[in-house]
Amino acid sequence: MAFVILKDLAYQYPSSTGLVLENISLQIQEGEFVSIIGPNGAGKSTLCYALAGFVPHFFKGEISGEVEVDGRKSSESTLDEWALNVGLAFQNPFNQISGAKYTVFEEIAFGLENIGVPRDEMKKRVEDAMSLTGISDLADRSPYSLSGGQQQRVALTSILVMRPRLLVLDEPTSQMDPVGTREVFGVVRKMAEEGMTVVMVEHKVEWIANFADRVIALKDGQILIEGKPNEVLTSDLLIENGFGISRYTSAAREARKRGLWKKEKLPVTLDEAVEGFKS
Amino acid sequence: MFENIKKEFSTRTLVLIPIAIAINIAIGELVVRLKLPVYLDSIGTVLVGAIAGPWAGALTGGLANLIWGLFNPFAAPFFYVAAAIGLMAGLAGKRGAFQNETPRWVSVVVGAVFVFSLTLFILAFINASTDETGYTSYPSMGQLFSQYIVAFIAAILIGAAIGYFLLQKGGYAGMWGLITGVIAAIISAPTAAYVFGGVTGAGTDLLVAAFRASGGGILASVLAQGSVSDPFDKMLSFMVVWLIVRSLPARFTSR
Amino acid sequence: MNAFSMYAARESGLHSLHPLTKILMTLLLVAAGLALPGNWTGYFIVVFIIFPLAFWGRVFLNLLSTTWKVSLPFAISVILIQSFFWGEGTPIFEIGVLSPKWEGAMFAAVSMGKIILVMSGFLLFSMTTRPDTLMITLKQAGVPSSIAYIIVTTLQIVPSFQRKALTILDAQRSRGLETEGNLYVRARAFIPIILPLVLGSLMEVEERAIAIESRGFNSGKKETSLIEIPDTPLQKVIRRVILFGIFAFIVFGVLWRL
Repeated sequence: MAFVILKDLAYQYPSSTGLVLENISLQIQEGEFVSIIGPNGAGKSTLCYALAGFVPHFFKGEISGEVEVDGRKSSESTLDEWALNVGLAFQNPFNQISGAKYTVFEEIAFGLENIGVPRDEMKKRVEDAMSLTGISDLADRSPYSLSGGQQQRVALTSILVMRPRLLVLDEPTSQMDPVGTREVFGVVRKMAEEGMTVVMVEHKVEWIANFADRVIALKDGQILIEGKPNEVLTSDLLIENGFGISRYTSAAREARKRGLWKKEKLPVTLDEAVEGFKS
Repeated sequence: MFENIKKEFSTRTLVLIPIAIAINIAIGELVVRLKLPVYLDSIGTVLVGAIAGPWAGALTGGLANLIWGLFNPFAAPFFYVAAAIGLMAGLAGKRGAFQNETPRWVSVVVGAVFVFSLTLFILAFINASTDETGYTSYPSMGQLFSQYIVAFIAAILIGAAIGYFLLQKGGYAGMWGLITGVIAAIISAPTAAYVFGGVTGAGTDLLVAAFRASGGGILASVLAQGSVSDPFDKMLSFMVVWLIVRSLPARFTSR
Repeated sequence: MNAFSMYAARESGLHSLHPLTKILMTLLLVAAGLALPGNWTGYFIVVFIIFPLAFWGRVFLNLLSTTWKVSLPFAISVILIQSFFWGEGTPIFEIGVLSPKWEGAMFAAVSMGKIILVMSGFLLFSMTTRPDTLMITLKQAGVPSSIAYIIVTTLQIVPSFQRKALTILDAQRSRGLETEGNLYVRARAFIPIILPLVLGSLMEVEERAIAIESRGFNSGKKETSLIEIPDTPLQKVIRRVILFGIFAFIVFGVLWRL
């Protein structure tokens, strides 16, 4: 049975008109790395909140359908229980700093303190998580003194250290440079290979094509298209619906019109483009 | 009852409280920088009361003064006054004072009644006489009215103008602010008088001195000073929060 | 450490004492100063006990200047008001109706002693105790962890708020908002500055709450703590003695005044 199951999920925020999510049905296997793309207002963040239990437990509002993770329904669980299994990190890193801690090391330990992990194990887990995401050298800095990209890494590490079984990330690399972005995708890929299920909202389609197992395109609260990264990210449906596509895909489409692109599949990444143009 | 209190202290509220205390301090400093003749250092406290409820408001006020006391020890003993302000804001919020609009004529009445009572209070205080045995007697209302009729008419007109132009559609919020200010003045007077001898190092000390010069004791003078400056200050704070709450998305205010 | 706090990071014996030991010590000094007879006891304790302790904690100058800054406006106010409005007494000088009295000035000086004692005692405590270790201690002593969270978080976010308020002030000024001039002009400048400040931060509340909920803030499990607060058996004994001392001073203070 699938690890994450969404069944006919529909949701409306309180005191707003219109559904933010509609008709979402979806299955995700354990250890799968799924990426979600979509324009602003497509309902990506709301879907993340639904997976992490904040919809409807925190935002109230009207929900129908089911969110099920590891055989348990979110409607039959409390937010606090849910949070032990599902971790969420989102875009704005500044608001994810607890404010209760003076150093990055202590900040990352905050969640472990809350769930009562013994001190020695806590230190080990924090050190491991920090070396995984490459921020060991920031350990003694104040979280407030970091750059946006560094803060995003701290936010990601703070969730990873909790070892959730489902990791939900809402644009976790928005303030990072290409090097940082690449490293984060690498870390997430590695976690997925170790059995963590990952759902990640991202715009950076080239990285998605390189690392994700599956892509879901969301528009107006509904699933527009889903499938293998290369199929979805090069689909005509995306362009017709105003999604951002990779510059290599655009270039190859132009080339195809002029008969310069011979392959059937369009490229998303640089490597695919180089290979395609060579042949 | 305990269920209700627990509900007030959601994670959202716990996150809101430090922000509210920071708002108190930041706005308090801004007011000094703009050289405005008010304190307005409890806007955050009132905001928590309005959004989260009376107990959360009281906790915010109390903690704000205790934390502020780490830097300015004079603030700490007044923590219970700040707590009462938060509590009152919460009660006002429960009765919809921050969400609803008030007809403008109600605001006019609120303003007029308030400035009238304030005038009555001050005139009674100034005209009080103390005999040799220490017994203080106050003039009768009739006496005051006949003596100061012009002052009373002016007070009503000024009050009505304040209601019409300043309170506008926030009459209920302003009224709760005035009541809160009166309560704050009454309960803070004993501490100000007995702990600090009526002196707090603020500009309002001059007012206390003026009342003492007119023959009042320490407690009475502190009380008189408080009832002049506190209601006005709290009225403005409640009005500002009324403005803020009305510009918030509905999901913040629906509890 | 960029936090809204008096804490001065130093390596000293006083810094390394357990926070409970320090807070009890502070309370003992305050109790002694208020309970013991004599007009000048407060000043005596400040000079002969608190100042040497501040030397030991390597924060003496810091303590002296902060105490001075905080108490000066108050002292001036107290002395002026108490001496000028004293009633009957020996005049210091007389100019028309103005006649300050020696007795009033003395009374002011005596009451200042008590206030300076309380103030310097607590300032010394906050200068030598990290706020987060204090909170861990309080939690262990039974203070709810939500209160501890509020206090530490407040100390951290106040500086960022002060900066934000100034940023908005500058931004509105550069858009032509008048912030100088008569009272009406300055009062009108107030709302356009505070509305963005308050509304912006209220929007943050939701995300902040979600972030800490995701990290088990409400898990209901028994919390542990990363930072270990060193304690010694000797300090445990000393704390008992101090506690007894505080009790004794209170009893003595009450009996002596009866």
